[in-house]
Amino acid sequence: MRRNSSRKAAGRVLLYLAVLFVALVVLMPYAWMVSGSLKQTLELQSSDVMVPGMRPSWIPRRPTLENYRNVNRSVPMLTYFAHSMVISTGTMVVATALSLLAAYALSRFPFRGRDVYTVSVLATQMLPGILFLIPYYLIFTLISRRTGFPLRDTYWGMIFTYTSFALPFSIVMLRSYLNGIPLEIDEQAMIDGCTRFRALWQIVLPLATPGIAAVAIYSFIMGWNEVLFASVLTGRQTRTVAVGIMDYVTATGANWGGMMAACIIISIPVLIMFTVMQRYIVEGLVSGATKG
Amino acid sequence: MNRRLGAGLGRHRTAYIMILPAVLAMLLVHYIPMLWGFYISVHDVNLFTMANWTSAPFVGIRNFVAGFDGSTAIGARAFRSLVNIVVYSVVTITAGYVIGLAVALLLNQEFRGRTLMRGLILLPYITPDSVAYNVWRFIFQSRIGILNRYLVQSGLVAEPTVWLIGKSALWAVVVASVWKGWPFAALVLLAALQKIPQELYEACRVDGASSWQQFWCITLPFLRPVSVTLILMSILWNFNAFNQFFIMLGKDPGVAAEVPSTLILREAFSNFNYGIGSALSIILMMILLVITVIYLRVLKGTAGSEEV
Repeated sequence: MRRNSSRKAAGRVLLYLAVLFVALVVLMPYAWMVSGSLKQTLELQSSDVMVPGMRPSWIPRRPTLENYRNVNRSVPMLTYFAHSMVISTGTMVVATALSLLAAYALSRFPFRGRDVYTVSVLATQMLPGILFLIPYYLIFTLISRRTGFPLRDTYWGMIFTYTSFALPFSIVMLRSYLNGIPLEIDEQAMIDGCTRFRALWQIVLPLATPGIAAVAIYSFIMGWNEVLFASVLTGRQTRTVAVGIMDYVTATGANWGGMMAACIIISIPVLIMFTVMQRYIVEGLVSGATKG
Repeated sequence: MNRRLGAGLGRHRTAYIMILPAVLAMLLVHYIPMLWGFYISVHDVNLFTMANWTSAPFVGIRNFVAGFDGSTAIGARAFRSLVNIVVYSVVTITAGYVIGLAVALLLNQEFRGRTLMRGLILLPYITPDSVAYNVWRFIFQSRIGILNRYLVQSGLVAEPTVWLIGKSALWAVVVASVWKGWPFAALVLLAALQKIPQELYEACRVDGASSWQQFWCITLPFLRPVSVTLILMSILWNFNAFNQFFIMLGKDPGVAAEVPSTLILREAFSNFNYGIGSALSIILMMILLVITVIYLRVLKGTAGSEEV
């Protein structure tokens, strides 16, 4: 009996040690990021080769906030931040509106071509992003030349691009959410004299708020984080944070302190949105992955 | 039940109106560019012809042949990039799955702070790629990165290693990708673990099965369907991996760490060979399609034999 309980206690200790180890592995890069953002430039450029005894350490020798104050000095990070805000918010609004309409149609009407459409929506998610990039670039160039309406390096071009990337997942997720809201609810509203759109707007919409919010946040974050297309299709007018942050490292030298401070700043919008919506996003991800 | 809402095509006008904007958007951004991609891949679109690329000369499958031919410079690099991405994917997916499963089993235990831990493991997953991989790039710095300090201190390496250039670059990216990727596997597997009925374990224990036997006979079979989807998704994602390579290694990672997506980007946007770039992306897509089909076929086969 006693041996059993001591074995159990040893098991508890092992369990907590394992948990602690996982926590450390998860947190290590964040600790390095915060540490780097608080270090002085001298510490970030020297090693014991140049300054004897100077080894990289977790604790900054003389913590400073200068990296945060200077975050906009060598790289126009605040401008990039503003670009990302416009593009991500635009994507969020357009993608949510379009996917809500499409998901409502898929959930409520047994129209011809519904299954074909759903499958084609899912299929686009499997294709490599790079497949679209070259045609995109050339089409954008062609449209600009022929019509004089620029798409490359414009907000509209980026919002349009990201909206379509956000659509497949948003449509599928909202459709399954709307399927959970009984049909009788809209029917009742329409019997009471509502039009189809009013029933959607006033009755279904409020019930679907959590699903809509999850989709909205998903599309915002997509726009905020995307790297491949932003690296080719954005320029001076629209450079986003995801790509602009790499400007801290140049051929002539690296401003790691500035980059780490910028990393923290550009994580904030994403962290806030995830915290607010954590439950729904995780549910959506997990059900999306398990249902295929 | 849906019948009541109307049966005829005309009565679904509202549905078509509602779905039209989404269809148009995807048509313009997915389907039409894909067709243009095929067009570009069989034409010689490069720096000189791109201004009027719609009238670039037709070259048939020459771009594809260049991508497959190991004796040409681009063909050799394309082949090498495929080898690299296979090595990268196999290691990243295996490590991510094993670690994800181990942590899922751990977090499926009762202990204090479990909810907190479940929130914590989400962190790598939700951190933007641009943040996570830049931080890892900083960790891997040879003189000022934290990793080399411990390697040197512990005597594992004699002096600071340059990780992000040359052969070791691929492994640096693998480490960062595993760190970023395992939480997704852990989340999905944890959700599946919680759906296993506890009575099964109790019945097993009554029969005197060890915990290893329980894991082997109950847990793993239950996780199988989820794992299959998870691994297929991981293959598709990892074969397309771009962000981690581009962010950690830059536009020119060197042959030893070049993967298809960075090679295509370079070929198209640094060397201005849009035609070859498009052909390479189509080859990549074909490979992914083949993997998907084989994987699903194999799966169907084993699922069928299980039922028998």
